[in-house]
Amino acid sequence: MSNLIVEKTIDKQTAILKDKFEIALEKLEQAKPFAKSMYQTEVFQLATELAGSFDGLSVIYSHAHRFDETGVFYAGLWEDITKMEPSLVGGSLRDKGINSIVELLSEMRMLSIAKGDYVHPVVSKEEAGAFLNEVLALNLDLLFPSKTETYRTKLDDHVFRAQRLFYYLGQELSLNAIAAKIVLEIERLTVQRPITTGRILKMINMSRQLIDSGIDEQTAEALEKYACAVNGPTPLSQDVSNQREYRLRLEKAHEDEIEIEARSFAEAINDTGLVSPYHAVLIRFLNRKDSDNIPKSLDLSEAGTESFKANRQLIHDVIQISIYPETCQAIYGLKRLLEREVLAQEQVVPAIRRLFELPIHAQARQVLFRPEHKQSGISLNGLLVAGVISVLGQPLGVGQGLQATCQSARAISLWSQYGIVQLLDYIASAARDNNISMIFEGEAIQSSLLEGGVSTDFQQDVDPVSSLLVPHLDKIYNEMMKRTLLRGEDGHKWVNPEFYGGWIPTGFINVINQATLKVTDYPAFVKLFYATHHPDYNEGRELVYPNPVGIFITNVHGELLGLHAVTIQRINQDQNGGYRVYFYNPNNDSGQNWGQDIKATVTGFGELEGESSLPFHEFVSRMYAFHYNLFQQGDIYMVEDSLVAQVEALAKESWGKNYVWA
Amino acid sequence: MVENMENTTALLGWSLPAIEAVDKMDRPYVVVGPPEFQEFAKANDIPFIPWEFDERLLTRSDELYEQLKALHTKITVPIYEETVEWAGILNAKLKDDPRIFHKSLLLRDKGLMKRKAQLAGIRVGIFEEAENKGDIYRFFKRVNEALIKVDGDMEPIHVKPLNKAGTVGHRMIRKEQDIEQVTNEEFPLLMESHLEGQEFSCEAFIHNGKVRFLNITEYVKLGHSNFVPASPSLEKWRPQIKAAIEQLVDAFEIKYGMIHPEYFITPDGTLYFGEVAGRVPGGHIFELIEKAYGFSPFQAQVLCSDPDTTEEEIASFFPEEIVSAKGHAASLMVYPNTRVIEGLDIPEELKNHPYFDKHDLFIPVTSKVAERVGFGNHYGTIFLFGEDSEVVRDLLLQYENYNFYL
Repeated sequence: MSNLIVEKTIDKQTAILKDKFEIALEKLEQAKPFAKSMYQTEVFQLATELAGSFDGLSVIYSHAHRFDETGVFYAGLWEDITKMEPSLVGGSLRDKGINSIVELLSEMRMLSIAKGDYVHPVVSKEEAGAFLNEVLALNLDLLFPSKTETYRTKLDDHVFRAQRLFYYLGQELSLNAIAAKIVLEIERLTVQRPITTGRILKMINMSRQLIDSGIDEQTAEALEKYACAVNGPTPLSQDVSNQREYRLRLEKAHEDEIEIEARSFAEAINDTGLVSPYHAVLIRFLNRKDSDNIPKSLDLSEAGTESFKANRQLIHDVIQISIYPETCQAIYGLKRLLEREVLAQEQVVPAIRRLFELPIHAQARQVLFRPEHKQSGISLNGLLVAGVISVLGQPLGVGQGLQATCQSARAISLWSQYGIVQLLDYIASAARDNNISMIFEGEAIQSSLLEGGVSTDFQQDVDPVSSLLVPHLDKIYNEMMKRTLLRGEDGHKWVNPEFYGGWIPTGFINVINQATLKVTDYPAFVKLFYATHHPDYNEGRELVYPNPVGIFITNVHGELLGLHAVTIQRINQDQNGGYRVYFYNPNNDSGQNWGQDIKATVTGFGELEGESSLPFHEFVSRMYAFHYNLFQQGDIYMVEDSLVAQVEALAKESWGKNYVWA
Repeated sequence: MVENMENTTALLGWSLPAIEAVDKMDRPYVVVGPPEFQEFAKANDIPFIPWEFDERLLTRSDELYEQLKALHTKITVPIYEETVEWAGILNAKLKDDPRIFHKSLLLRDKGLMKRKAQLAGIRVGIFEEAENKGDIYRFFKRVNEALIKVDGDMEPIHVKPLNKAGTVGHRMIRKEQDIEQVTNEEFPLLMESHLEGQEFSCEAFIHNGKVRFLNITEYVKLGHSNFVPASPSLEKWRPQIKAAIEQLVDAFEIKYGMIHPEYFITPDGTLYFGEVAGRVPGGHIFELIEKAYGFSPFQAQVLCSDPDTTEEEIASFFPEEIVSAKGHAASLMVYPNTRVIEGLDIPEELKNHPYFDKHDLFIPVTSKVAERVGFGNHYGTIFLFGEDSEVVRDLLLQYENYNFYL
């Protein structure tokens, strides 16, 4: 039926392509399975051509229900539709090679299920629709391409093709469902209170065009709330068109108005964790004329207010040099820092002060400099201080960005909880000397003398402290690990206590035998963790310091993706009485589905900002290494075998498939 | 299927198009190929013997023969160059005729091949084997002395390995300095005088010593572009070419199978023999034959390799040469002119041309371009199809140096 419509309206070239595409599909269908690969190429080529126009996309769609049976995806990564993951779609579509067109065909297949043209034995209409909604929500830049990107080159064909596909999908799907998905995604990310908010802001700004597109009221309100929070969440800020106007308006405002402004901003940041640039204008204004109102504009707790009062001069100076509209997100960090009473610790205040006028090394200047700050008048020292405020305020908001530097992100997070002075020393040393020095087994390791490590031009998606420290930390960590290479045991045993800090317990166990690379004594590993960490078996001892542990990261199908570093923050009962592990995940995306129905949550079970949590045994099933205190363990024989069996089954059916079990 | 009847065809080498073709023939077959394909073969019910076609032909062929025998193999058909002598020795054993093996060796040693042709009175250029650089210096000098080219303007010579497929390892020596580029590992080599004229290849299907179908493939640029069937200006020499092929078949005592010889032809119709291979040609020639004539050359090769194929089967299988071709099918093989591939540019003008058939160019997963060996590893091919051979040739020439890869 859709075929007929297509034929009437398409141009000659598309009609030729349509015929060729149909012949190619026919040949593919007739080929025996072993020969399919010889005929897929032609289908992909013609699909590439067809995807050059909307009519062509319709032609592709009109055959999408046949793709599986003809063998379009046969023997490739896209063959099993139940293994598709929304988060991978954007990346594949942006790939220049053949993957991007196969991915496009797979979306069309999904669309034909969602629209009921293809009845799939496993994937339902609703599931297919939800999948596509999520894909669109995750790739808003493809759905709403920026107007400035009109400069077109041959090299970007695949991007334009992806945009065309998204436009097509947007037409076919309900905008309402997409918007609802976007709201969920924004909520999921903001509830974790990350320091770096670029991705969230991008989603909020791009989804603004959806607010007036007839989507349902509740969703529109939620989008509106976020748009407000990051733009103008207060009566006066909504009324002005720029920051200068706002500042002038504040001059003329009377006391009540200022108070309403302060409270509205406070409400917005409490609600979303996101800060409007106008908030920075207000705080700078209050800092000069009316600093008593600052606690109100941050909605500080009692402890926070006390901390503010005890450190007025420091706070004044911090705001003066570091809180600008461009660094407004640090306002949330400032609030949390005051409430955490960090400044009461000895030496912290002078250590922060030292950063105000610290000479900054040329290399570090390059790392800290962001072109967008050129116009703002903020100094590099100011940027650095803003970064420090964020990190000290939100230790669990530190993220590794897109780099495989989970160890270093975890270190910054740990130090901002339990090694603040140490952290500030490292920051000063990295900024001033472009060097960090640590002692490992009696020998000093200087980062500036080491080669390799993560490249220094990586930092666009991490906070200033991370961009400054991670290249050094990464090199030092690697060097320490290198020195333990031939010891026949996992080097983390020695490296972690020296790298992170002396409070890391020296007991250590890795489930993989480093000599044989086999999983060895798994039941003993599980029992030891219960006996040292589970309050029912460790004689009720609570975790004193966070524990850095190693986990296997698995995807939604339970397949091993790699090794990852996280921190156990605490172990507690949730509202239902079950024990959960609350942990920090430096990957900025803690609410992941690890397969086998193991879904880390970021809210709903008493998680604090930035924490994720899992039922105790589910977390254990993904662990491969942890530290423990040799003198504080319960009796291993008290751990029931049935517990071990449950964990072992989860392990064996997931990451365990990639290992030999001794 | 009757038990114990020796009727299985063994394909030597792994090639999906060949497997697909024989699979459609309704005759038992087995594929002998590298062990890495075993899993795939098993998953797809393809009868398979895992085998490394290495240098140990004489010591290991008995083992393979026994395996094939157990599967009631009647004939083996080589798919690529390295399996030609394996097919020779196995067919010799299967037919109990050692000469089959020795004849196959003629096809695998370019020096022997040329000698054999020369002995049979076939016109070849002059040639010699070289053991070292000294030999090349001397041959280059003597050829040029003979042509009285002593001051500067030298006549080039060619050197190539004795046993490699097609153009792999081929070098043209234009001046003495070029000889220094040859490394010691490349010896022994065959040296040949340069032949003027248009180069083309033939794909001749032989059954019972007779040429049953002769395709002429016109080279537009060696290793880059060719088309099937040849243009009228080349096809007009078909009687002479056919006679030359028959002379070659007699000289090499070829009774069954397919041969792929290359010739040069001068404007007055004088033919020079280049070399001959006993396996599937490169350059997508089989695909082009299938496109133009509508029969599968792989199936033709299997049919002609089987002595028991009847005259009727042969007659009904092959269409009439030239006149039954639906058009000229051409391939343009594309090599990147860049170190790193970032994009593709297939001009709209070409894609919209009525003669444009299809292409298989993609941006490869690893964007770094591999070193080029022979003409074997082009990155993609553009296929054309149309009635007028002149239009085909013009298109091939027009896009010969086009940068499809950015």
